[in-house]
Amino acid sequence: MVLFAVALLVRPAAAASFTASLDRDAVTLGESATLALAFEGAQPNNLPMPSVAGLQITQTGTSQSVNIVNGAMSSTVTVSFSVKPQRPGEFTIPALTANVNGQPLSSAPLKLVVSKASAPTANAVNSGSEVAFLKFTFPKNKIYVGQSVVAQLELCLRDDVQNFGNFQLSPLNVDGFSAGKIVEGQRRRAQIGSRVYTIVPVLIPLTAVKSGVLNLGPFNASAVIVLPGHSQGGDPFFRQFFNQGEQKQVALATEPLSIESLTLPKQNQPANFTGAVGQFELAATAGPTAVTVGDPITVRVQISGRGALDSVALPAQDAWKNFKTYPPTTKLENADQFGFQGTKTFEQIISPLNNDVRELPALSFTYFNPEDGRYHTLTQPAVPLAVHAAGVTPLPQMAATKPSNEEKPAQDILPIKEKLGSLIAGKTPLVARPVFLAVQAVPVLAFLAAFVWRKRADNLANNPRLRRRRAVAALIASGLIDLKNHAAANQPDEFFATLFRLLQEQLGERLDCPASAITEDVADGHALLRNAPAALRAALHEQFQLCNQARYAPVRGTSELNSVAAQFEKLIAQLREVKP
Amino acid sequence: MKSRIAILLAVVCAGKLLATDVTADFASANKLYAEGKFAEATTAYAAILKAGAQSPALLFNAGNAAFKAGHLGKAIAAYRQAELLTPRDVELRANLAFVRNQVPGATLRESRWQNWVGTLTLNEGALLTAGFFWAMFALLAVRQLRPALAPRLRSVTRLAVALTLFSGTVLALQAANRFNAAMAVVTGAEAVARSGPFDEAQSVFTARDGAELKVLDRHDNWVQVINHAGKIGWLSRRQVAVLPGA
Repeated sequence: MVLFAVALLVRPAAAASFTASLDRDAVTLGESATLALAFEGAQPNNLPMPSVAGLQITQTGTSQSVNIVNGAMSSTVTVSFSVKPQRPGEFTIPALTANVNGQPLSSAPLKLVVSKASAPTANAVNSGSEVAFLKFTFPKNKIYVGQSVVAQLELCLRDDVQNFGNFQLSPLNVDGFSAGKIVEGQRRRAQIGSRVYTIVPVLIPLTAVKSGVLNLGPFNASAVIVLPGHSQGGDPFFRQFFNQGEQKQVALATEPLSIESLTLPKQNQPANFTGAVGQFELAATAGPTAVTVGDPITVRVQISGRGALDSVALPAQDAWKNFKTYPPTTKLENADQFGFQGTKTFEQIISPLNNDVRELPALSFTYFNPEDGRYHTLTQPAVPLAVHAAGVTPLPQMAATKPSNEEKPAQDILPIKEKLGSLIAGKTPLVARPVFLAVQAVPVLAFLAAFVWRKRADNLANNPRLRRRRAVAALIASGLIDLKNHAAANQPDEFFATLFRLLQEQLGERLDCPASAITEDVADGHALLRNAPAALRAALHEQFQLCNQARYAPVRGTSELNSVAAQFEKLIAQLREVKP
Repeated sequence: MKSRIAILLAVVCAGKLLATDVTADFASANKLYAEGKFAEATTAYAAILKAGAQSPALLFNAGNAAFKAGHLGKAIAAYRQAELLTPRDVELRANLAFVRNQVPGATLRESRWQNWVGTLTLNEGALLTAGFFWAMFALLAVRQLRPALAPRLRSVTRLAVALTLFSGTVLALQAANRFNAAMAVVTGAEAVARSGPFDEAQSVFTARDGAELKVLDRHDNWVQVINHAGKIGWLSRRQVAVLPGA
């Protein structure tokens, strides 16, 4: 109802306007300014988003206000942006254009000067004029490469600072160092110059990674501090409850610091030095110490102390050549929050390669102590070992012979075998393979062949007629060749002498009588031949006649002799048909 | 012809590559064992065996890893398979005896004659018998071919005949044991033997991890077994490893 009445009374204001403004023209790097875009008389159809290289501009909020002056009402919409410089320099926020009630309106360009924060002078600090400042301290003037130290950055807040927040540290400028995790230290109060300051320490773990003159800083930061408000009258008792204070953003910076980083001395540097810098202690254990060849032994090496433990490595142990070694596992237990103090544990599995091994050789570790600038070598004494050959351990006797009373029962299984050995090609046993079974027939067949041969030889030996028959057959075969040779040479005397002898041999064999006793009369009178075919008997008679005539008749020719030899051959074949 | 040679070369090269891979896998599994990662080592050895490679050392190490991982049955099964290949390996016998001692309760063991026969592999028995067999027939053949040598060869021949008969008998026992006397080793924590080859059958007895049982029959995925007390029941194949006789 009231608003309706107001609406009737008031008149709308004049035409719309658009302005842009900064709450300040100059800021220090680390601080931020506020950009306000004000639209009076109407709301913008589109909101221009400013963008300037080197400035981080983010919208922070929108507010609206209504003013009634002499009955004329005006409404203002204000859009706020936070402007945070990224680098020092002079920046221009260009003219922005917005569409308001269909009209394009433009703002005027704005300038912002960003200056680099600088460390306060000693006089300013001592005089207490600095509300807040940064201070960087490094515990040493010179360090060695690999040495680790904890630097300290202190945020000093004057005693009238009621609170602080949004502390932002710019990226650390620590060229030549590796920085660890930043940790906030314990706050304290201290008198600096004429004022008391609250000191907020920020601890920065640093490890030098290269030699030479190294620059630390300048370190830049920004924070929002709360200072007491200016218009604070009244009772201080009530003021402490109701005073909201005045927020102020401050840019902080330190002076750069130069540190000399030294290389580790090469002189007297032990061969097994692996780069450990600090102060360390060495402890090592090994077990079990009674093993079989190939059995694993766990060597546990603990390196404790102060330094860059993360980079500490176990040196190669040349004396472990009689052991098979496996890559060690490591475990780091930090005793402080920076990782510069604690214990690094190496677990190395090794196994003896032969039973000549009598001890685990002494283990050594070398580090460089930056406090005295010297190398130190820590050594653990050799550990005696009892290494048994794999095949002569007491355990196998369980399967072979009765163990003696003196032997202890086995405590564990025997270790694994290191060598794969030959792979088994086929899984089918020989007795199930047809080829193997078939091969076994070979000796049986060989024996049977020998047996048959032997039987035949025995038969021949026990049968004289058979033996004679074979001998005569062989004689006849060679005699026929002789006959043909004699015929070809036209040697009738030798021809018929051979013919007669062959005839005697064949008939003797058939008639089972000596060959020399065979005559034509004997042949004619024998019962066997009397029952023989007449043609055979006639041919036989003819052959005898030819032999007799040859002794008295003139010499015959080759063709005739060949004819006689052919007839003889035929006669022999017929005689062999005669069964005795 | 060229293609055949190429195929032959390819097979030979593949065989060498396979052997190299197996050796590398074997070394990796050994490393896992040495690092105390026994379960992983068991898996690694099993993978090599599943790929078809087999050697006494591989089975021995697989048994070691299984035992260290707490699987008594699987360890015994691996050792017994290795025993078929190298029955006289004293380390193998020692570990098998040690693991068997860890198995709670009574269990079946090989008889004395099975142990005695098992000191030779089946292939060794076959080769030995074949050697005597060949020698016997060679001597008999010589006696036929050279009867004059028969008196001098008589005793040797008799010895060869006796050895052939003896080794042949042993081989027959080995073969019968291998092919007919299968054993089952319980590989789960507990295996319930049932009255029939189905899950709903009544429980007959319970066998623990590592228990060894004699296989009487098989049916689908079930094996009928008899335990040391003479009780007969059916076990699922998932609960046991079935092995040929020693």
